[in-house]
Amino acid sequence: MVETILRATLLGLQLGVTLALIAAGLTLIFGMLDVINFAHGALYMLGAYFGAVIAAELGSFWLALVLAPLFVGVVGAAIEVLSLRPLYGRNPLYHILLTFGFAIMIQGTVLQVWGGQARRIARPDLLTGSVAIGSLNYPLYRLFVLVVGTILIVAIWLAIERSNFGILMRASAHDTEMVNALGIDVSKVFTGVFVFGAVLAGLAGVLLAVSRSVNPGMGMGIIIEAFVIVVIGGLGSFRGAVYTALLIGLVTSYGALIAPTLTELFLFGLMAVVLMIKPNGFFGTTEAA
Amino acid sequence: MVRRPTGECGNRAGSNRASTPTISRRQYLAGSAAVGVGSAFAGCLGGEDRLTVGYALPFTGTYAILGESIVNGFELYLEQNDGEIDGEEVETIERDTEADTNRGVDVTRELLVEEQVDALVGPVSSAVAITMMQTIENEASAIWLNANAGDYRVTEEGCLNYHFRTSFNDWQTSAPLAGWVYNNVADTVCLAYADYAFGQNSKNFFREAFEDAGGEVVAEVGAPLGTDDYSTYLGDIENSGADAVFSFFAGSDAVNYITDFADYGLNEEMTQTGSGFLLSEDTLPAQGEAALGMYSLLHYAPTQETDRNTEFVENYRDAYDSSANVYACQGYDSAQAFAAAVEESGGSDPNEMADALGGTELDSPRGSFRFNPETHEPIQNLYVREVVASDGEQPVENQVVETIEGVESPSWGCSL
Repeated sequence: MVETILRATLLGLQLGVTLALIAAGLTLIFGMLDVINFAHGALYMLGAYFGAVIAAELGSFWLALVLAPLFVGVVGAAIEVLSLRPLYGRNPLYHILLTFGFAIMIQGTVLQVWGGQARRIARPDLLTGSVAIGSLNYPLYRLFVLVVGTILIVAIWLAIERSNFGILMRASAHDTEMVNALGIDVSKVFTGVFVFGAVLAGLAGVLLAVSRSVNPGMGMGIIIEAFVIVVIGGLGSFRGAVYTALLIGLVTSYGALIAPTLTELFLFGLMAVVLMIKPNGFFGTTEAA
Repeated sequence: MVRRPTGECGNRAGSNRASTPTISRRQYLAGSAAVGVGSAFAGCLGGEDRLTVGYALPFTGTYAILGESIVNGFELYLEQNDGEIDGEEVETIERDTEADTNRGVDVTRELLVEEQVDALVGPVSSAVAITMMQTIENEASAIWLNANAGDYRVTEEGCLNYHFRTSFNDWQTSAPLAGWVYNNVADTVCLAYADYAFGQNSKNFFREAFEDAGGEVVAEVGAPLGTDDYSTYLGDIENSGADAVFSFFAGSDAVNYITDFADYGLNEEMTQTGSGFLLSEDTLPAQGEAALGMYSLLHYAPTQETDRNTEFVENYRDAYDSSANVYACQGYDSAQAFAAAVEESGGSDPNEMADALGGTELDSPRGSFRFNPETHEPIQNLYVREVVASDGEQPVENQVVETIEGVESPSWGCSL
């Protein structure tokens, strides 16, 4: 019993931090750029595929972990510069349609290039085996994901709150014209934010590709969960996304213990309840972000 | 006879014209000229008969690779026979079912009514198959070569004279394993399954057969279809205290489940067994070493060393530069079944084809294969396979450890 709860808790937290990495990018892009990025799930999938190819070709998980998210960042830069940039300030519907189109294009391309067969990244030797936590043998790799995810989330938090780029980012979102007038190229800041979000999605893709199958449908599956998190947490709120991701991770894994078939219902039920009590989500502001 | 003259060389799929078999040559020519395909006429006035085959298969989405393999298998047979069956040219038409039940009905209607196909090949999903039954029965214009959908209810609820399972049914890929597991592996099992119709059927059939054999099912663990992480379910499986697990998962679910199973070290505590889809050619490369030592049951193994199969696997590799899998074999046998139906009935009348095909034996790469004349279910060998290390292209492969010969299925009340 203790073992079962411990296992579910660890899984919930691990799920939580990976969801937080994905939702963080989504919420940052919305908070700063006002863009609802439906292609985010596709970028996550692309990270997993790039990772799988790099790991298979170069035989190193670690190179995949570093290189794949960077390649995803390049794709993100291309999307932002070539297609989103001309559309800032327009009705959000433009962004939704555009990014949704990208999601479908990326998925189609992946299917064409790599086929529909499931893939996986081989576990690095360093992280095989398991560690004993009490009476539970927990796979080492999962613990690694939990730790790396937590470190990254804390680092991003600090970067937004404390670093100069974080201040610049928040200022650009708050008053674009003023920052422009100060001689700073806001469009570069926006590109930076979008690329950063893409890199985070790609990173989550590589991290999960070791324990989850890599397939062309994976991006569409995760994007719904990520949106639920962003909505519950409050659109644009990084803090809200992180807390909610952890909550959703735990709800999902405890839900699987109690009623496996109802986990999705729990998810959307939670969203409905939160939105009824706090229409702007946990950390949403009443004014438009 | 639902054959048409070969007059129309144009692309049928692209034309809006509703062709009917009773249309006269004159009307036809006028119609064709009107849509501007006149230039193609010269070579098209042969008046020779032609057979048409409609693929109702997923070409996009999760099951795309299955649809593609079935088509490849079918066309491999056609190529080997110069594109002809019984001296007549075979034309094929593709329609994407997208594994969507609504599309299934539309596609069936299009292929049967508008394209006037002589044989319908597909689908992959059983849910789609069940929605197609009514239309196929009503139209009564083609034989249905069910190249994958394995739900026993297609026979129980449909029992169509036109329906021929060139694949398998869910009883065959689960129940026959029970006796083998009881005799060779364990007398207590836990059932783990993807919680949807096919998973439920599989575990129910296994439970029944395992209890009949004298074994005990100590627990059941159902996980929703599309579960990414099986950690919490593995706790229940481990706590069941069973010596073996019988599982039904497929595709990405099978990859995630098997990976997690090995990750948590359950391999050392219990033996993993399951339906063949748990450990098949489309999942094994991703499962890799995690799958070593696991047993599964299927009607086909590409590694089977018979002359017929070796030849099939080599031909398939030459033609498509990829490995043959169970779906390719099912596609290939669908083509063989169609050829047998046409040759033995001497035409393409669906009722005559169906009568001729019941009881027919096919020379299949999978081994012995014939249809039960009462149900049109396959009577075939089932192979217990163990995942072993390989020095081939992939690190692991299935090796046949036991052949269960000539497995018949229950009739589910169907008597044709």
